[in-house]
Amino acid sequence: MATATASRLAVLAPRPLAPSAGRRRHAPAPGGAPSRPRALSAAPRGRVLCLAAPASAAASTTDAGQDRLQKVPISNIRNFCIIAHIDHGKSTLADKLLELTGTVQKREMKEQFLDNMDLERERGITIKLQAARMRYVVNKEPYCLNLIDTPGHVDFSYEVSRSLAACEGALLVVDASQGVEAQTLANVYLALENNLEIIPVLNKIDLPGAEPDRVAQEIEEIIGLDCSDAIRCSAKEGIGITEILDALVTKIPPPKDTSKDPLRALIFDSYYDPYRGVIAYFRVIDGSIKKGDKICFMANGKEYVADEIGVLSPNQMQVDELYAGEVGYLSASIRSVADARVGDTITHYSKKAAAALPGYSEATPMVFCGLFPIDADQFEELREALEKLQLNDAALKFEPESSSAMGFGFRCGFLGLLHMEIVQERLEREYNLNLIITAPSVVYRVNCADGETVECSNPSLLPEPGKRRSIEEPYVKIEMLTPKDYIGPIMELAQDRRGEFKEMIFITESRAKIIYELPLAEMVGDFFDQLKSRSKGYASMEYSLVGYRESQLVKLDIQINAEPVEALSTIVHRDKAYSVGRALTQKLKELIPRQMFKVPIQACIGTKVIASEALSAIRKDVLSKCYGGDITRKKKLLKKQAEGKKRMKAIGRVDVPQEAFMAVLKLEKEVL
Amino acid sequence: MLRLAFPLVSHLPPWKPPPIRPRPLPARRYAASATATISSSTTSSPPSPPSLPPLSPSSAYVHLPFCRKRCHYCDFPIVAIGSSSGTAPSRVEVADDPRIVDYVRLLLREVAVTRPVSDDGVPLETVFFGGGTPSLVPPLLVAAVLDALRGRFGLSACPEVSIEMDPGTFDAAKLRELVGVGVNRVSLGVQAFQENLLRSCGRAHGVEEVHEAVGIVTACEGLQNWSMDLISSLPNQTEEMWEESLRCTVDARPTHVSVYDLQIEQGTKFGQIHIHLFCAPHIHVLVQFGYTPGVFPLPSDTESANFYKIASKRLSEAGYNHYEISSYSKPGYGCKHNLTYWQNRPFYAFGLGSASYINGVRYSRPRRMKEYAEWVQKLEDGTWSHESRSSDMKDMAMDVVMLSLRTAWGLDLQSFSKSFGKSMALSLCNTFKPFVESGLIIAMDMERQALPHMDFGLDLQNEGDLGSKVAFIRLSDPDGFLLSNELISLAFGVISP
Repeated sequence: MATATASRLAVLAPRPLAPSAGRRRHAPAPGGAPSRPRALSAAPRGRVLCLAAPASAAASTTDAGQDRLQKVPISNIRNFCIIAHIDHGKSTLADKLLELTGTVQKREMKEQFLDNMDLERERGITIKLQAARMRYVVNKEPYCLNLIDTPGHVDFSYEVSRSLAACEGALLVVDASQGVEAQTLANVYLALENNLEIIPVLNKIDLPGAEPDRVAQEIEEIIGLDCSDAIRCSAKEGIGITEILDALVTKIPPPKDTSKDPLRALIFDSYYDPYRGVIAYFRVIDGSIKKGDKICFMANGKEYVADEIGVLSPNQMQVDELYAGEVGYLSASIRSVADARVGDTITHYSKKAAAALPGYSEATPMVFCGLFPIDADQFEELREALEKLQLNDAALKFEPESSSAMGFGFRCGFLGLLHMEIVQERLEREYNLNLIITAPSVVYRVNCADGETVECSNPSLLPEPGKRRSIEEPYVKIEMLTPKDYIGPIMELAQDRRGEFKEMIFITESRAKIIYELPLAEMVGDFFDQLKSRSKGYASMEYSLVGYRESQLVKLDIQINAEPVEALSTIVHRDKAYSVGRALTQKLKELIPRQMFKVPIQACIGTKVIASEALSAIRKDVLSKCYGGDITRKKKLLKKQAEGKKRMKAIGRVDVPQEAFMAVLKLEKEVL
Repeated sequence: MLRLAFPLVSHLPPWKPPPIRPRPLPARRYAASATATISSSTTSSPPSPPSLPPLSPSSAYVHLPFCRKRCHYCDFPIVAIGSSSGTAPSRVEVADDPRIVDYVRLLLREVAVTRPVSDDGVPLETVFFGGGTPSLVPPLLVAAVLDALRGRFGLSACPEVSIEMDPGTFDAAKLRELVGVGVNRVSLGVQAFQENLLRSCGRAHGVEEVHEAVGIVTACEGLQNWSMDLISSLPNQTEEMWEESLRCTVDARPTHVSVYDLQIEQGTKFGQIHIHLFCAPHIHVLVQFGYTPGVFPLPSDTESANFYKIASKRLSEAGYNHYEISSYSKPGYGCKHNLTYWQNRPFYAFGLGSASYINGVRYSRPRRMKEYAEWVQKLEDGTWSHESRSSDMKDMAMDVVMLSLRTAWGLDLQSFSKSFGKSMALSLCNTFKPFVESGLIIAMDMERQALPHMDFGLDLQNEGDLGSKVAFIRLSDPDGFLLSNELISLAFGVISP
């Protein structure tokens, strides 16, 4: 499995967006690094001004939180993360750990402390990660436990890999009533690859449907982990938490003491604070870092002065110095997260490390879509909002795009579908923008007749048929875990989506792992939703890019009254063109109001019409009654009608309402 | 005899109405009480079109809102007075209904306090008693109103005095009385010749009363000019029924026919109301009252368009001119009063909910009796002044377009261009060009003779003399008329982009 993961990262090799003249202001800083979208205002931070106590000092201070700042010998430091599937209880467990170690007082406990954004709370997922330093005393010996939270979703697998690289151990939390899920599996493999000590935890044993024995067996069979002393817990009920803390101390190895080496600190997260600039979260791998040190980011060579360093417990608390093995944050008046990218190595300017830490990679957008403001006046607001989000999210790419049907907007690139959804939702929710979102598309590679290879993520920019030799599209390997009852429907789904069957393994008697390779374009629609609905929510999936393959792709154009509608063009597989064309023309016929003349609506490949509908002409639209000379009502109605026409987009002589575009774009998401 | 004095105007198109011209902006205050204040905005008005002397209204609309009951399609300001006996409506019982008497008193007060626009004594050429069901009002009271109007504004030697009448609300004697006091045109609200249709749209009369009423009207001495009002696209109406109604209409030989296409208005019984009931999380019950246009039992759009075309065909065959979207007349019998509206000329209005157009200002009176009464009081006290919604050039251009395109005479391009600028006239023509080509709009020369559509294109190319050949444009009958809303709203888009 290690090789599979390695290849995933390999394929994510840096690849700039298609060149565009209109990118002046948005050119990403050289090699924008991925980072999670993050709320602009993070949790309130404690500003405990305190000199770090000597490593030998006893824990005697009474100030809340002060004890956690005290240094412990490196042999007493444990850095760990939690690997869990969505809803398997990671955040609840994290909260309980914070509570039991007194890191967060019960009264200040918000449920799921680590998930700060509303979105995260609502979706029950962790998009970004945070860290928490806890103090735990065993046999009067104080230990420093650093929990590094990881984002759970496959879109952020790079970020996961970097936070795993900052740890020596991991808690593998599995819902005892459900079992191992695909995403968990992917992350466990990542952890194993990073040589992490893995402590299996069976959560939710309080639930009536819990089958800890079966799940333990499943973990042993699938992952090959010894589960004989897997911890059985209920984070919700507080059962088994002490056992977990003890296991962290006894099982996870301490960091290596390399504090005498030149500084190397791994950035595993960064976010933008509007007042202080970028705050980078890091793990000191070698050496030590002091407040006021002149530091250097090795990937881009930029230099800064560490104005402030501190630890997260879970609020920021300033300290003077951090040593190898410790986890902390720094602020250095960095203006964009792109300059302090996840995976980058911090070293001293004057005493540079010989080599950066391994594993750094740039963000490569995988999924693209057009974002257009419904109200054209919001274009500038949209630009500003995207710029603000980008400060915090180096993986978000965008460039201006204009469409005859939808006016001015942006073509945006995302790490994956969840990333896309999160950005869209934040734009709408936090910036009050009403957006039209075009069907997501992927980056195609067009091999041109002249030998050139062009990357294209926008169907309307696809080179003319005569100029292209072939089109390649990205393929993903998809692993789906499902109870055996749903194998049929799931294989059908994969088959429908041009999937190539690779392998099926029964991981237990009742659960199977199905592996397909299929075009990413087939996944960007509603694949995940379909998977969930066809398996009654039981199946889970994980995917990784396996490379580009040549496909029989065609550009499907929509013509309304013989006028091509660029915004509705799509790239589809030849075999699907007919059904997609039919669905689109039918939908348009439903949604375009009848005009004073017959309107043909056609789907074409090149000049060939493959689906056709006709919108019949309006029969009658007349106001006859004269209200005793009161023409005001009539005039009002006619004015309203005229206003309605204005709100529509004129495609040639045909007035097409915005809703029609939106519905068709939605439909494209579904049928493509 | 009024009958003899009635002007028998000549045949269409030779009968040319005065060109439709924009009204100048309000030059003076609303002609009401002597103490009403002049609104400041009237003085700082946008550039006005080539000024014409402010026309003095020569038409008056009088609203008589009483009905036996409200018809299911009706959203006019009316007062339902019911029928006391519950059987065949008596013709005398309402004579002294205090509500009618009180209302007419109010009307007379409004007339008395309304100042003529000019002192040069332009008398009224038309008076229209609309409703409601004006035929429920005792002729004496109608006479009182007419007298008041005559006293206040003067009546021309041979005015057109119309009254709306419903079958079952009058007898020969009553009609004779009305004619005796000066009424010379009747607009008979027949609507349909099928019992079930009349019942289903809530009319207070049946087919028998219709025939009886037609008999009374046609037999009435001194009454030459009368209109039959029909409604097409009623619920459950079939093409056969519509043909039958048209046949009966032609047989009755009215001088005028009005054909209204049923409009489903919100708040009427026919109007659409949806009620969503959430019985359980997944069980939604949609309760729907009323009708949806184009959906059974209403005729489909295609059927309903067909009804319109049939009416146009049958009535034209019978010698009627389709001179306005919903109006047909025998030569010379166009409704002069309604022409005032279509020609954008001023008119007085009196009574509940009625709309006047004086000094360039359109004003709709309160639709509720109590508020109307209070309004009349204020008018008398001089404490009411019309908030002058200064209608700008765009609004005036829209009025001209929407009104003139309803008629067979169409829009006078030269006059439009003169009033609102050549560029607006040009862009209007450009917008209409495809529809001239497709035949929904007809270009006409000075003599109102249709021109081939090529001439329209040529005229457009030659911007300098727009209107040199094409003098008028009109909507075609029936196809252009049928899409009048679409075409007019297109024009609105040009006028107010």
